[in-house]
Amino acid sequence: MDSNKKYWKGLEELNNEPEFVEKNKHEFAEPIPIEDVLTGGGLAGKTPRRDFLKALGFGVGAVTLAACQKVPVHKSIPYLIKPEEITPGVANYYVSTYDGHAILVKTREGRPIKIEGNPNDLFSKGGLSAQAQASVLDLYDYNRFNNPLLDGTDSSWPEIDAFVKLELAVIKAANKKIRLVTSSINSPSTLAVIADFIAQFPTTKHITYDAVSYTGIIQANQNSFGKAVIPHYHFEKADVIVSFGADFLGTWISPDEFSTQWVQNRNSKSLASKKMSRHIQFETGMSLTGSNADSRVLIKPSEEGPALVNLYNAITGTTLPGSKPLANVNADKAVKLVAAELKAAKGKALVVSGSNDVAKQILVNAINAQLGSYGTTIDLDNYSNQYKGNDAEFVEFVAEVERGEVDAVFFLNANPVYEYYKGAEFAEALKKVRLRVNFAGSKDETSVHSNVVAPANYYLESWGDSNPIEGYYTIIQPAINPVYDTRQAEQSLLNWSDSTTKDYYTYVRNNWDKNLLAKGGLSGLKGWETLLQTGFVKVADKPASNYSFSKDLNGVAQTILVQSSKYAAPAGSYEIQLYQSVALRDGKRANNPWLQEMPDPVSKVTWDNFAAMSPTDIRNAGYVQGDVITIAVDGQKTVTLPILAQPGQTQGTISIAVGYGRTEVGPVGLGAGKNVYPLQIAENGTFQNSTVAKITPTGDQIILAQTQTHHSIEGRNVIRETTLKDFVKDPTSNSGGSLKHKEYETLWDDYDHPQYNWVMAIDLNACTGCGACVVACSAENNIPVVGRDEVRRRREMHWIRIDRYYSFNDGGKSVTEEKEIQDLKDLDNVSVVYQPMLCQHCDHAPCETVCPVLATVHSSEGLNHMAYNRCIGTRYCANNCPYKVRRFNWFNYWNDSRFDNYLINEHTHLVLNPDVTTRFRGVMEKCSMCIQRIQAGKLKAKIEKRPVADGDIKTACQQTCPTNAIVFGNRNDKNSEVAKLLDSERTYYVLEELNVQPGIGYQVKVRNTVETEA
Amino acid sequence: MSSISFTFKHFYRAFLLVAGLAILSISANAQTDATKGEAIFKAKCTACHAIDKQVIGPALGPQLTKETDDKWLVKWIQNNQALMAAKDKKAMDIYNQFNQAGMTVFTDLSDADAGNIITYVRAAYKDIQDKAKAAQATVAVEQGPSMLIVYALLGVIILAFIVILVLNRVVKTLDNLVATKPEILMAPAAVDTTPVDKYATVKRLAKNKKLVFFVLLCVSIAGGSWTWVSLWNTNVHTGYQPVQPIKYPHDLHAGEMQIKCQYCHSGAYKSKNASIPSLNVCMNCHKVIDRRKDATEPSTEIAKIYTAIGFDPKTQKYDSTLARPVQWVRIHNLPDFAYFNHSQHVTVGKIECTTCHGPVQSMKEMYQYSPLTMKWCIQCHKRTEINYKGNAYYEKMEAVHELLRKGGKVTEAQMGGIECGKCHY
Repeated sequence: MDSNKKYWKGLEELNNEPEFVEKNKHEFAEPIPIEDVLTGGGLAGKTPRRDFLKALGFGVGAVTLAACQKVPVHKSIPYLIKPEEITPGVANYYVSTYDGHAILVKTREGRPIKIEGNPNDLFSKGGLSAQAQASVLDLYDYNRFNNPLLDGTDSSWPEIDAFVKLELAVIKAANKKIRLVTSSINSPSTLAVIADFIAQFPTTKHITYDAVSYTGIIQANQNSFGKAVIPHYHFEKADVIVSFGADFLGTWISPDEFSTQWVQNRNSKSLASKKMSRHIQFETGMSLTGSNADSRVLIKPSEEGPALVNLYNAITGTTLPGSKPLANVNADKAVKLVAAELKAAKGKALVVSGSNDVAKQILVNAINAQLGSYGTTIDLDNYSNQYKGNDAEFVEFVAEVERGEVDAVFFLNANPVYEYYKGAEFAEALKKVRLRVNFAGSKDETSVHSNVVAPANYYLESWGDSNPIEGYYTIIQPAINPVYDTRQAEQSLLNWSDSTTKDYYTYVRNNWDKNLLAKGGLSGLKGWETLLQTGFVKVADKPASNYSFSKDLNGVAQTILVQSSKYAAPAGSYEIQLYQSVALRDGKRANNPWLQEMPDPVSKVTWDNFAAMSPTDIRNAGYVQGDVITIAVDGQKTVTLPILAQPGQTQGTISIAVGYGRTEVGPVGLGAGKNVYPLQIAENGTFQNSTVAKITPTGDQIILAQTQTHHSIEGRNVIRETTLKDFVKDPTSNSGGSLKHKEYETLWDDYDHPQYNWVMAIDLNACTGCGACVVACSAENNIPVVGRDEVRRRREMHWIRIDRYYSFNDGGKSVTEEKEIQDLKDLDNVSVVYQPMLCQHCDHAPCETVCPVLATVHSSEGLNHMAYNRCIGTRYCANNCPYKVRRFNWFNYWNDSRFDNYLINEHTHLVLNPDVTTRFRGVMEKCSMCIQRIQAGKLKAKIEKRPVADGDIKTACQQTCPTNAIVFGNRNDKNSEVAKLLDSERTYYVLEELNVQPGIGYQVKVRNTVETEA
Repeated sequence: MSSISFTFKHFYRAFLLVAGLAILSISANAQTDATKGEAIFKAKCTACHAIDKQVIGPALGPQLTKETDDKWLVKWIQNNQALMAAKDKKAMDIYNQFNQAGMTVFTDLSDADAGNIITYVRAAYKDIQDKAKAAQATVAVEQGPSMLIVYALLGVIILAFIVILVLNRVVKTLDNLVATKPEILMAPAAVDTTPVDKYATVKRLAKNKKLVFFVLLCVSIAGGSWTWVSLWNTNVHTGYQPVQPIKYPHDLHAGEMQIKCQYCHSGAYKSKNASIPSLNVCMNCHKVIDRRKDATEPSTEIAKIYTAIGFDPKTQKYDSTLARPVQWVRIHNLPDFAYFNHSQHVTVGKIECTTCHGPVQSMKEMYQYSPLTMKWCIQCHKRTEINYKGNAYYEKMEAVHELLRKGGKVTEAQMGGIECGKCHY
């Protein structure tokens, strides 16, 4: 059964706006003046022919002269004494840790060039987020501090040491307060260094402050169960998942891990046994998690509390004081249905909330306890150490600073001047502190207010360890010597506290020898060396016990309801929801161009944040997308942002991403968006992310650099989805019957694939659209960053893009006809499908047919080769490609000073993969299926005299995918994973009817929807 | 009496015999001393010592000539550690003077063996010194006659100058003569006043359209083919032999010494880069070898290695602060867009290095032997059969079996080795 369900990439396409239609007719985003030249004055001139000949003559002469240069002499400089482990041309891998994930750092000739997941990582088994993939580029960021600074001027380490030690001695003698402000630290060795420092300076207090705080959960657990921790969630054990605004696939606590867990009940394996979890998301703005949910219920931030109260009532059958039905009829109905589903799945249910409010989290704990989640889907015994922030302590610290009681403050990986909601006032108060030491590696808002900047090494240059989950200890080892004159923060603290251990490496070693190696059954030098090979030790999990909830909830419900009415927007105002974007998260990596240019999964906006509003609201208020509005909270705090029309946004709300608008940062992050941290509120002892604001137009218009409508699908049927019910009835449901592919007449000869036939299978049901593959591909294939302006001209260079399609839900029925769409005004109730789109390596590739110089040709291994040095840039291939995956180099991006701003310069060239050519101006490029990896994999097998095994070769996108949505392999091998997947019933090929015979098969998206629910 | 005389005679003969034998044996001993010593010296000592220069240990020639106490020397040779343990002053001095590097103990050498070594070393050192003196003498003699040549040259120059002056004089006189008596010269012949058109023939030929066409055709064919050929050879650098910072003789190392290529270019086995050896590889041998076998002076080229790596041959010590890398000039330059992997060809394909790099064993200085053009690559890929035997990678590959069944050759090209993306990515 072929579906006629209508999908659209953006509102422009849905409404067929004349501008969009016009734009899509043209090859280029902006008009090219050729027409003018041909029709207008260009030809009407007196002697155009002579001028032409002159120009031609000059051109030929100039080019000839320019070509008459000497062949450059290349120098070749070998090592003086070659390190034993390095062979030029062969990559070395070192285990390390990124943000608690065990990783492998790929180095070439001593330079880290890529981060890859450690396949044995506890969290995501080799999957990594976009942030982790992009982190390698920051190592070569030339905006990092090159040396320590004293009062803003260049200094040296001995000078800094002498200054700080003297100051500390004076402060210690006067018995004044010292404060150490850090973001959450779960490194056992760092914590030990801090403890040593505190022992030396007893007036020191360690304050943990996170930009995006999880204090609500920590304190709720303290309140409910006496354990001030974040529990370890197990989404893989839940049959029914209900999330209230927790973006656990995108940004919440440990998103890569949760994605890996979440997909276990939704991937091919699970579907083979006809099983799939059900995921319901209550949320305000369209988050990555919400867009992947089976059912999505729109609520305003102020309705989240009452909804939780009602859910508790519905589950327990009690009525908490003050509770009443929700004004939002849809949500009210949904809460009741969800309660029934949760009850039915008792022991296999999980409710999470993204709120940082203690009261709400206590209520969530009560609900989970009722559902028997503790001991099954929630593990409080092997808890998480990933976030430990304490908002109240930080507020108290700010008060101390303002009172002038603090004499010394140290900032480690914390940037409160930017991240704290009253950052400007805090910066002012900081002046009262005598010694302000900052360990920031590169310039940030707090470092400019510090008198000592002691830049810390980057994590790829450091020793260290991490303990993200109780019982899981990972090691950080350096993969390169410090690039600049920096020093580890721990080393500085050791020096300043006159530690008996002189260097931090020894300190870490001793700590592991004494305390940690034994946990993994290791010991001594041999144990340490084993650790440096494996990357972590894991203690067997403690049995997760069941916790019962016995606190009184009346007060909690009261607090929730009072707060929700306080922050309910009156008419004419909007409720503001602040969230972290998947790319930038809290904004610490704002100077990373790969992350800035990665399109936001849902909105597809690059390089900026924006005010996401419901299209209905926009129309009613008389705005259009791109209008810049002023958002004012209490008439004081204002921020101006462009509007983005976001289908699926709750009416009466605006969602804005934090992490943008950095003011003291390198050239990449500068000018990217606006800072909305000041809109945060402090309520009930925690920082919270929703408030109420009024908006007024500024009259300005901005074109957001949005990639969603760079191509039109021309109404073709490229997405296929089905429901679990239909799938169980007929596994081929809506796959177009992949097993009975239609036979089409063909114009082309068939190609033989005698040895290999490299193909790919992409499971639309597993893909969450997180974008990690996009960044991994950029890192692997030397893909340049082009910047905001060029993205606006549709010139982004990503070889893989994640297409996001909307479709309407209408009471569970799918909307199929255009007429129906016109009748339907409900742009709130949309569902989303993500589709990774890359070169399909068609066997009958239309691009090959039209290339006049045979620059793109077919290989006997089923790949569509692209010879850059042969390409003359006619761009016929891109025009003829039905998937629009070919990218043209409009500039010599890697060697053009205009793109230096995006860290594309000599220094950053060190991150380039030496096995992949950087492409020159005027040539076409596209996904090569990581042919360098294919060739390397085959060569390794030849040298080892064995056949290539399935899974030996992994493409960069496949390797980093936390949900294993992408599988690559040899179709000729009937037992390969990819062959099995492509032979499965769910497989379909995009635009199969064109008979281009694509090499990439997609698996139909399955939604676990319930008919009765909207 | 006769008995006495007989006894005396007998005794006398015996004495003569014994004396003769003794003399014989002494002379024989003296003879074997040096040869035996040389054999032992070469077997046991040359790893660390040379006669006339310091290597790891001191130069033995001067050392042993200076030290005359043979008994002490024998003791030192047999067990220098014992001497040092006994805090022997001389021994300690030597130990400290030469970097406190302990010498191997040779308790297996007899006193005679040690003596033999000493004899040999002294003799050899004397020999070297004599030769050096003789050489100096010859050099002095050779320098003699050079002044004579200078004087002779000066004389020739002066002579030539005089000749020029005289000739000038003659010319002037003759000029004067002509000026005063013009009739001496012959009267000019009657001049034809109609101007001769020098280009008449050319003009006539230019009117011949067929000829013009033919010439133009030839010119354009010649010009065209020259352009064509030179375009084809643009950036083809066969024979490129740049001057290298160190005149490294491949003919000596790979040819005469028969050192395997991969001893230095070890990357060729396992990496895409064959890699230029790092200097510590050079030092494996050149720590000891500082000159050609027959040379008297240390080689200036080898000294460049020492300078680069910061090694002082006198003290045998490294100073990393003085180290400066050698900037070799790259000879084989593939463009960036072409991927080439040595291990693929050397380890898997079992291609000899010389197939592409030419007769390196006879190259005094390295030059580019092959054109390194794509045509050259592809020709080889079309020609070369896959070396599939004994490699399980190919054994299970149906494509190979298919080709063999058909009786065809399994060449690199048939395995996809001439497809664009195999080298360009």
